[in-house]
Amino acid sequence: MRRARLRLRPALAAVTATSLLAAGVACTGGSGDSDRVRIGLLVSLSGIYTSVGEDMQRGFQLYLDTHDGRLGGRKIDLIVADEGDGPATAVPAAQKLLGRDRVVALTGLVGGATVDKVQTLTHERRIPLVGANARPEFAPVAGAPRDLSYTWHTSYNSDEPGIAIAAHIKAEVGGGSVYAIGPDYQGGWDELRGFTDTFTELGGKLANPGGKTVFTPFPTTENFLPYLNKAAETKPAAVYTFYAGGPAVAFVKQYRQSALKDVPLYAAGFLTEGAVLDAQGTAATGIRNVLNYSPTLPHAANQQFVAAWSAAGHPGQPTTFAMASYDAAAVLDRALAAVDGPVTGETLNAAIATVGRIDSPRGDWQFHPSEHRPVQRWYLREVRADGPVLSNVLLQDLTTLPAT
Amino acid sequence: MNTLVITTVDGIAYGLLLAIAAAGLTVAFGAGGVLNLAHGTFIAAGGYIAAAWTAGTWGSLATAILLATLAGAAGGGVLAAATAGLRGRGHLDQALLTFGIALVGGDVLTAVFGSDVLRPRMPAALEGTVAVAGYRYPVDRLAVLAVAVLVAVVGYVVLHRSRAGRLVRATVDDRAMVAGVGVNPRTVDAAVLVASGALAGLAGALTTPILGVGPGTADTALLLSLIIVVCGGLGSVPGAVAAAIGVGVVQTVGVVTIPALAPYLLITAMAVVLLVRRRPVPGQVT
Repeated sequence: MRRARLRLRPALAAVTATSLLAAGVACTGGSGDSDRVRIGLLVSLSGIYTSVGEDMQRGFQLYLDTHDGRLGGRKIDLIVADEGDGPATAVPAAQKLLGRDRVVALTGLVGGATVDKVQTLTHERRIPLVGANARPEFAPVAGAPRDLSYTWHTSYNSDEPGIAIAAHIKAEVGGGSVYAIGPDYQGGWDELRGFTDTFTELGGKLANPGGKTVFTPFPTTENFLPYLNKAAETKPAAVYTFYAGGPAVAFVKQYRQSALKDVPLYAAGFLTEGAVLDAQGTAATGIRNVLNYSPTLPHAANQQFVAAWSAAGHPGQPTTFAMASYDAAAVLDRALAAVDGPVTGETLNAAIATVGRIDSPRGDWQFHPSEHRPVQRWYLREVRADGPVLSNVLLQDLTTLPAT
Repeated sequence: MNTLVITTVDGIAYGLLLAIAAAGLTVAFGAGGVLNLAHGTFIAAGGYIAAAWTAGTWGSLATAILLATLAGAAGGGVLAAATAGLRGRGHLDQALLTFGIALVGGDVLTAVFGSDVLRPRMPAALEGTVAVAGYRYPVDRLAVLAVAVLVAVVGYVVLHRSRAGRLVRATVDDRAMVAGVGVNPRTVDAAVLVASGALAGLAGALTTPILGVGPGTADTALLLSLIIVVCGGLGSVPGAVAAAIGVGVVQTVGVVTIPALAPYLLITAMAVVLLVRRRPVPGQVT
């Protein structure tokens, strides 16, 4: 049933996008539109990760709106398509953006599995992919490692939150053991592996029987209580987890009702990021989590970003999803400014390699020269009341990843 | 060992909730003659209403449950009116109609309530945990368990001890005979669909504190209800209750005892039940 509904959405999106496109062409009167640039934004506007997708759309749009609808001095036609729950809906939508709409860059992309599939499409067409969320461990194609020369991310690798916080948790629990639990899909495996590998390398002990992380069926698990009570039997000193979206709400609520109630909960920051935090309410208080952004960071760029976010009438505080998508627009802004002459996938991609330091709400960062993802700081945050609302309040810097 | 006991209790509570949800579907099929693919949407609607109406007080909680039940009943009424014209045209036409209602209804719910997962605000007394057999258990789940048992008992008594219940069962067995005693079987059909909708709305309201309600709720609820109804024998209420408790236990005890097979356990159990159970269950429509 969900599938059927999702098939309708891209069709609607296609119709909308086509009419927008027609409008765009009409505006330029068909004459030399060298100062108009078409950019595709592929995000989840339906399905489990809708709120993440909407945040990313808001972030990108916020940058456009605060920059007069222009990037690098060129007028932008932003064409939005629905990623849905994964590759089944995302790939046709990406094909449409690349084929019919002939975008010169593709940004957004919520899910790791989507990125893995869409990357081959954009690479084939020599169109830069500026992903603003999950970046998976790209599976080799025909035995050869992926060519990532046209692939950029303003976000992070899925295993980095776990890597960044492992040393801190090890110091906190000392000789105690940590129980690791997460959702059974690519994103969950990456997030948990980042933590468990680093933690055990540091001499940490996992409380899980056999040292194996427990993975819950995704997205069908809504009742976490049996898992949590089972976990409590191993008497862990702390728990490490990653969930996002609806399951994150269920997990946090039920954690506070389980036998693990008083055991410290550490998490990849997505557990308490954005809309889910409101739904979790006070049950989330005290959760310590790791992310590359906190709305309470003191940088000037962040204060401007947070103020613009509120001024635009968006609910709550900006999230890392919105921030990374905002930064994707900032990267394209600087890259487009550097392109001399016609904008093609090739010229734009070459320009992205030269953007240098980005003055971002998360603090300065730059692309890793070969891996094309941010070299950035990771922060330890704690869910606390910040005035009338709950917020992920900055506690301390953790580390800079990827280590150079 | 303790964990297993508490998990089994949890499984039964979960199963009884599913039973209320599935009972509506099986009754609508058995007595109303309608395979209602919009059933999950009614459940989600009940959940959304409960989540939106509760304000942390007992009064708002009671009103929310009542409103959710009424909304479900209204949905059942719409369904009865819509399917009346399709009588005699087979289940496929009905399936298409109710599927359409589910799609439209699902998008309306997302448009009205947004795409985030919502949860009701419960009275503080229900938010805590109590010690059961030396183990912590959430109070809200115990309350839901109590309500679910109550609904199951009331449902059984109504179906088997009241005139209305006898009429419903008679309509399943022999429509002509019901007409013969001076009752229009179509009125019974409509009443059954309204009652089935009310059960769906109630189930939605009861599930929300535990599972929350979001864009995926309708599909999950419909899928689980269909599995239960098919395993329990289409149209059989006792069968549905037994199957629901089975599903509840598989989804709780099963997944933690054999975690490696967790994603496949439910479907495997369903296949085994269907292969083993050759004879129709009492009340089953054949």
